[in-house]
Amino acid sequence: MNLPHYNYKTTDFQEYEFYSVGPKGVIKKIVRFQKIQEEPVIYNLAFGDQDEITGDINDAVTSNNEDRDIVLATVSRTVIEFCDHYGDHFILAKGSTPVRTRLYQMGINKLIAEIRSDFDVYGFTGELLHKFETNVNYDAFLVKRKNRIFDHK
Amino acid sequence: MSEIKKATDNVSYNGRATVVKGLKSHANDPFFIKKAEDAKAFISKVVLPEHLKK
Repeated sequence: MNLPHYNYKTTDFQEYEFYSVGPKGVIKKIVRFQKIQEEPVIYNLAFGDQDEITGDINDAVTSNNEDRDIVLATVSRTVIEFCDHYGDHFILAKGSTPVRTRLYQMGINKLIAEIRSDFDVYGFTGELLHKFETNVNYDAFLVKRKNRIFDHK
Repeated sequence: MSEIKKATDNVSYNGRATVVKGLKSHANDPFFIKKAEDAKAFISKVVLPEHLKK
């Protein structure tokens, strides 16, 4: 997945931070993976903007920094690195509101070919899980990295 | 111009995470605690197909 993405940093590969740069200025983004279930293991992908002055994190504000694709590509990179270090578990992504979930979906739709090369992608409609399709509106998304074939040459 | 340079420097195409020591953890931040609670509540209502549980 060689899409343009922001440089990002981590200490433990469970939490990442990076800076969005655009017309609205420089906005600090925090991505954190939280285990929410055992058997099968599911991690939640939580993601928000941090106010550099107050330290508060929220995802209620739409940044409008005109870099949604770069931000989503960066989040995708953190998913890959997280899986590299913690295993190929299910990862849940859900927006804080239907509008935000829809924004995520628009981003996923745009990157779906790239994402599918590495991940199985599913979408929830209500309590039902389906294979992801671009023309369906979902309430949440579940991804799992595909089995990798290692070359031991 | 410096803003443009800053933005360009901040973007990569195949970079990996920069590992830094002592980045502040937000594990106990109320925002992330609520996110985990909401996600647990959501996932408790759904049943994964059997073939995905393996």
